[in-house]
Amino acid sequence: MSELALRRPLMNRRYTLEVRQQMAWPWQALILTGSLIMGLLISGAILVWAGVPAGELLNEFVFLTLFDAQSLRAVLFQASPLIMVGLAGCLAFRARFWNLGLEGQMIFGAIGATAITLWEIGSPAMRLPLMVIAAMVCGLLWSVAPVLLRLKLQVNEIVSTLMLNYIAINFLLHLMYGAWKDPKDAFPYSPKYESFELLPDLANGLSLSFPIAIGTALLVLWFVSISRGGLYLRFVDKSPQVARSVGVPVARTILLAVLFSGALAGLAGLMIAAGQEGRLTHSFYVGYGFSGILIAFLARNNPIAATCAALLIATLFVAGRSLQVFYQIPFAMVQLIQAVLVICVASSDFFIRHRIRRVQMGD
Amino acid sequence: MSKPNAIQLTGVSKTFDGFKALADADFTAKWGEVHALLGENGAGKSSLMNIVAGLYGPEGGSLFIDDNPVKLRGPKEAAKLGIGMVHQHFKLVAPFTVAENILLNLGHIQTSGLYRERLRRVSEDIRTMVDRIGFNIDPDTPIHRLSIAEQQRVEILKVLLAGAKVLILDEPTAVLTEEEAESLLTTVQGFAREGAAVILVTHKMNDVLRYADQVTIMRGGRTVTSLRPDSVSVDELVRLTVGESTTHTDQPSAERTPGEPYLRVSDLTSTAGRRALNGLDLTLNRGEIYGIAGVGGNGQSELANALMGIPEPVQGDMEIIGGGDLAELDAAQRRALGIASIPADRYGSALAGPLSIADNFALGDIHSGRYGPFWYLKTRAIEADATKAVHQFDVQGVRSLKQKAALLSGGNAQKLVIAREFSRPPRLVFAHSPSRGLDVKATEAVRERLRAARNDGAAVLLISEDLDEVMAMADRIGVMSAGRIVAEFSRPADRQAIGQAMVNHV
Repeated sequence: MSELALRRPLMNRRYTLEVRQQMAWPWQALILTGSLIMGLLISGAILVWAGVPAGELLNEFVFLTLFDAQSLRAVLFQASPLIMVGLAGCLAFRARFWNLGLEGQMIFGAIGATAITLWEIGSPAMRLPLMVIAAMVCGLLWSVAPVLLRLKLQVNEIVSTLMLNYIAINFLLHLMYGAWKDPKDAFPYSPKYESFELLPDLANGLSLSFPIAIGTALLVLWFVSISRGGLYLRFVDKSPQVARSVGVPVARTILLAVLFSGALAGLAGLMIAAGQEGRLTHSFYVGYGFSGILIAFLARNNPIAATCAALLIATLFVAGRSLQVFYQIPFAMVQLIQAVLVICVASSDFFIRHRIRRVQMGD
Repeated sequence: MSKPNAIQLTGVSKTFDGFKALADADFTAKWGEVHALLGENGAGKSSLMNIVAGLYGPEGGSLFIDDNPVKLRGPKEAAKLGIGMVHQHFKLVAPFTVAENILLNLGHIQTSGLYRERLRRVSEDIRTMVDRIGFNIDPDTPIHRLSIAEQQRVEILKVLLAGAKVLILDEPTAVLTEEEAESLLTTVQGFAREGAAVILVTHKMNDVLRYADQVTIMRGGRTVTSLRPDSVSVDELVRLTVGESTTHTDQPSAERTPGEPYLRVSDLTSTAGRRALNGLDLTLNRGEIYGIAGVGGNGQSELANALMGIPEPVQGDMEIIGGGDLAELDAAQRRALGIASIPADRYGSALAGPLSIADNFALGDIHSGRYGPFWYLKTRAIEADATKAVHQFDVQGVRSLKQKAALLSGGNAQKLVIAREFSRPPRLVFAHSPSRGLDVKATEAVRERLRAARNDGAAVLLISEDLDEVMAMADRIGVMSAGRIVAEFSRPADRQAIGQAMVNHV
C-alpha cells in the first residue's frame, strides 16, 4: 500500500505522523480544554436532537445551575463524593493499579459507617468521627485482597477488583433485605440515621462534605507532589522497571497508594450515606465507581484537575435532573454525555503524543 | 577465481546517532562456500549483514549481488533476490504452528488460493524440505512447543522456503548446546556444498576453524582482512580479532598493593532458563579495579543484575566481608554500605527518563532521611545537592533540574547516574559497560571517576565487553566464559592470552 502511494508521481506531498517526545504543558492544557469543549458541543447537539431547544441549553447548563445559589449548592453537594472517588482513582492509577473496584469499596465504606450507627458504638459526639474511621477502614479492607493478590501472585487486579464489586453489591442487598432492613419501612433501606450521625451543614447551607473533599484533594496533592511516597509513586508510574532497580520499594508504594485509594472510596460511600441519603439504601452507589474512574481519567490523575472534573460531572448530574423534569430527557442522557466527554479527551491524547507533519517528497 | 561472487560489499559505512558502526567496510562471499564473519561484539558484523538483508540502508559504498549492483529498499526486496537472514532473536509467532509462521513469511510469493489450500501446500513443501535436509520438524506443531534449537530450524526453513540462496546466520550457535551446534553447522555446510552461499556471523573461533571455507575479520567497523582459516594459526586469528593493544594508558608507575578482600562471590548459578551463570567464583578486594572481560552473552548481564539487586534468578553466595549477604540487602542498606551501581542499560535500569533530573538524583540519598521524613521532601536540599553534583561531575546540558532526564545525551546521562551513585563516598562499585555509546571525552571522564573511587579505597568491579576498556582500567582481569570466570590475569596482562581465554570455550 505505502509503496504504491510513494510511486504515484502526483503524490509528491504527503502527511506523516510522528511520535512526539514531549509537549509543553500549556499546549497540553490547550488541547485538553479544546477536546472538552468539543465534547460539550457534541453533547449539546445530542441534547438538541433529543428535544431540548438549542437556545435553552446554555441557560439550563450554565445560568440555572451555576448562577443560582440553590443549584450551586446542589452541585457542590453532588460533587463531594465524586471528588473523593475521583481522588481514589487518581491514587490507584498513579501506582498503575487499575482499581475498578471503587464502587465496592464505597459500598463497604457505607456499610462500615452504618454498622456504627446500628450498633450505636460511641457517644453521640463521637459517633460521626467513628463512622468516618469505620468507612475508611472498611473501604481500605475491601481493597486489601486484590492488591495483595496482585503483588504476591500477579493476579490481574482489573478482574479481581471488578468482581469484588458484585460481591459487595450482593452483600449490601443481603443486608438491606435481611438483617439491616428498617422494620418501619417496606423498602430495602436501613433505619434512618440519627441527626448526630449525619454530616452537618455549614452556616451557609453548604454540606460539610464539600470542605472535607477539598481538604482531601489538597492532602492528596501534598502526597503526590512533595512527599517521599509521591516521589516513589512517580517512579512506579513512569518507569516501573527502573523503579525496581534503583531501589524504590515498588511493592510497598503500590500497597500504600491502593489502600489510600480504598480508604478514600470508603469515605465517599459515607458522604452519600450520611450526607445525601441519611441511611443506607440498596442503590445509593449506582454509577459512582465508574464516574470516579472517568474523573481520574479526565484529570490525568492530577488531584486538582480531578476536583475540577468532579465539579463538571456534578454539574452534569444536576442539570441532567432538571432536564429530566422539564424536558422528559432520560437520565441515561447524562451518562451518554459523560461517555462523549471521555471519548473526546481520550482522542485528544493522540494529538498530544503525535505530530502531523506535511513532508515534501524528494526524488 | 574458481567460484563466482554471491555477495560483494565495497566501502560501506553506517552511522547510528553519531556512532560509526561501519567505516568503509568491504566484504565478498562466494557461491558454494561457508564464509565466516568473525569479530568481537560491536565490531559491526551484524550491521554489515543487516545491510545485505535490506534492513539498513548503507550510507556509502555499494552492494553487488551476483555481480550486479543493487539498491535494496527493504528486507522484502532482499528476500526476492534470494537473501535470507536468520537473526539472533527469532521472529516467530509463538501460538502459531510452524506452517502458519512460514506461510506468513511467504506473503510476497504465494498469494493465490484459499488459506487452507495454501497452508496445505506449504505444509507439503515443509515436509519435503525437512526430509531433504534432515530437520526433524512437524509443520503442525505450534512454535511455543519447540525448543530453542528447533525454533532456529524453523527460522532456517522459513528463509529456505522463501527461496534463499544466500543464507546469513547471525550468531547461530550462541543459544545452542555443543551437539546442536555441531548438527546445525554440518547441515549448513551441506547447503554450501550444494552451491548456496552461507555467511556465518560468529565470534567463536572453533566454529570458524571447523566449518568455514573463508573468514573475514572485522574490528571497530572495518573489515581487517579476509583469508582461509587453515592458512593461519589460531594465535594469528585471535590477534587479528582482538587487535593490537591500542590504548597505552595509565599503567600506574607504582605497583598497587591490593587491599583486603571485600566481596566474595561463590558458586553463583542461574536457577532458571539456560545456565547463564554456572558456578561463578570471584573475590573483589578493596582498592582495586577488577575487570571482567569476555565475549558478550557469557553471563555478564546476569552477573551484573545479581550484583546490582535487579531481579535475577540465581543461587550461590555473594558475601560482603563484614556486611552480610549482598542478596539480602534492601536499597537503603545498600546505600548505607556505600554500594554504587552503574548498570549497562541507562534508561532501562538507572534513570527514569520521563522524570526530572532532581527526582532521579534524589534517590541516591533518600533513604537516609537527609531529604526529609517520609511525608515531606526537602525539595530545596535535593536541588542544592543536585546542583552541586551536576557541577562536580560535569553533567552538561542541564538547563533546569526540573528537566526530564531523557533529554540528556548518553554521556551526560551516565554522568548523572555516577553523580547519584557517588553522592555518598562509594565503598563498592559495580559498573557494567559504563562507557558504552559514549564519546571519547565522556568515556575518559567516566573512567576517571572509577579510578578515583578505586584510589580512595573502593572495591570496583568493571564488567565490559570492550577488551580495550578492561585492559586500560583493571588491576586484575577475570575472563568470563559460559557463566564463570575461566582465567584470571594480573597487571600487566598479556592481551593475546586474554583473547585466547575469551574465545576458547571449555
